[in-house]
Amino acid sequence: MEDKQKLLTGLEKAVREHNSEELNRCLGAAFETAIVEDELRLALFRGLERQRRRMMTDDVPVPHFLLSLDTVHEGFKRISLHLGREPGHGTPLVIGVVEGDPHDLGKNIIAKVYEASSYRVYDLGREVSVDAFIRNVQEKEAKVLALSAMMSTTMAMMPEIIRRVKEETPGTVIMVGGAPLDTALAKSFGADGYAESAVTLLEQTEAAIERVSAGEPW
Amino acid sequence: MIGGDVLLLGLDLTVEASDFGQATIYPENSTAHPDYSNPLIRDHTDYRKLKKIDIKNAPRMQRVIEMARRAIREKGLTAVFVPVVSSPLSVLGMMRSAEEVFKDCVLYPADVMAALETVTAVLIDYINALCDTGLIIIAPDMLFAAKSGIGKEIWEKIEGPFGREIADAIHRRKCLVAIHNCGDGPYFDSMMRFMKPEAISFARLPDDCKTRKELKKRYGDRVILIGNVETSILYRGTPHEVMEECKKVIDDLADGGGFILAPGCEYPPNANLLNAIIMVQAAQIYG
Repeated sequence: MEDKQKLLTGLEKAVREHNSEELNRCLGAAFETAIVEDELRLALFRGLERQRRRMMTDDVPVPHFLLSLDTVHEGFKRISLHLGREPGHGTPLVIGVVEGDPHDLGKNIIAKVYEASSYRVYDLGREVSVDAFIRNVQEKEAKVLALSAMMSTTMAMMPEIIRRVKEETPGTVIMVGGAPLDTALAKSFGADGYAESAVTLLEQTEAAIERVSAGEPW
Repeated sequence: MIGGDVLLLGLDLTVEASDFGQATIYPENSTAHPDYSNPLIRDHTDYRKLKKIDIKNAPRMQRVIEMARRAIREKGLTAVFVPVVSSPLSVLGMMRSAEEVFKDCVLYPADVMAALETVTAVLIDYINALCDTGLIIIAPDMLFAAKSGIGKEIWEKIEGPFGREIADAIHRRKCLVAIHNCGDGPYFDSMMRFMKPEAISFARLPDDCKTRKELKKRYGDRVILIGNVETSILYRGTPHEVMEECKKVIDDLADGGGFILAPGCEYPPNANLLNAIIMVQAAQIYG
């Protein structure tokens, strides 16, 4: 039987090299040992996190990061199948692209990064209405709402969504992102945080959650 | 009413892909986009099935050509009207989804390149038809040649050679290449090496520059810089703030010439038009 540490390192490497065969081999071997679910997920996340950080220094281009994300996703699915239950027991988070906006490449990446870092992600897709955002935040008891817009015309809907979410589900942490946005705009819209890309996403989201919990202004 | 010297015009990102047969949705209050539930290229094996089309039977490209013809014939905008032509990889992105194309560039590069060859042949026909109208500048949109795109090494291997073919076709017609790239960290060095553009319209700093001044120093004597007033400032800024921002951009980039003040990407359709007039005034005052 393979050494536990070797298997966990193998999983990390499989994510970095987006090697599906190695992923499945390591997981298959891990299921026969006493390695617990959280350790497996953490190993997958560590592999992705290393890729994400290397994006900051340009060592990892976007296509390779996307493939690593797919590997993590596949790993999570396989673990869930093995255990016979749905993944995710972390912070519930609703994400979607605002109404009228069909661009979802950025949102898809962000949703997968959140998922890989143990948020329980409810991805509403693209062109999501204000009512659908509010309904889902309430139904899923989401702690975080992440809004994406890639056009200046659709970005203009964000203030209304934010106003209504804050009115109807106070305490929800609202993150925004997308090409036409910047920190100043995000603040002027009433959001709690802004992330330029997947590179800064997790840190910015954690900071926003802390600010909102402490009642501090952004 | 606004003034200005050059109009870079792109209708939307689906023009070329629609003519290849990609099902397209035209919402009343938003931009045209592919029918994502019905992509023309469903998996990597479909890349090689893509067939060259005759642009005479390409209604959306013909519409742009007709616009160019009228802009020149009726308004005399020969050096003013600059149509944006999608990059070959962007066209594939509309027929497959950008996310899948990105991954295919790593997993199935030969298949992607086979499709790029087909698309590029059509784009060159399109460019020639545009040049026939009397235009003298074409703007290839090379969005994926950026850090936010597919990575430098991959771009140089996969799309760079086709970018070169497109630029060569424009230059053969004695027209100018004004690349548009509003990606994050555009690869000025790669685009210049492959495409030898006369101008680059950009939103963000190149991957190898930390400041606008550094950009001017590194590239300003080799290519005309077009940009890069932030869309967000045009959208939210007061006329005073827009004037201040334009002044900063001019201070950084105009020294020695070879610079056109412009928005980094689109002029936001829902921004105050007064801010566009302010941009023109800023160019007149500080330029």
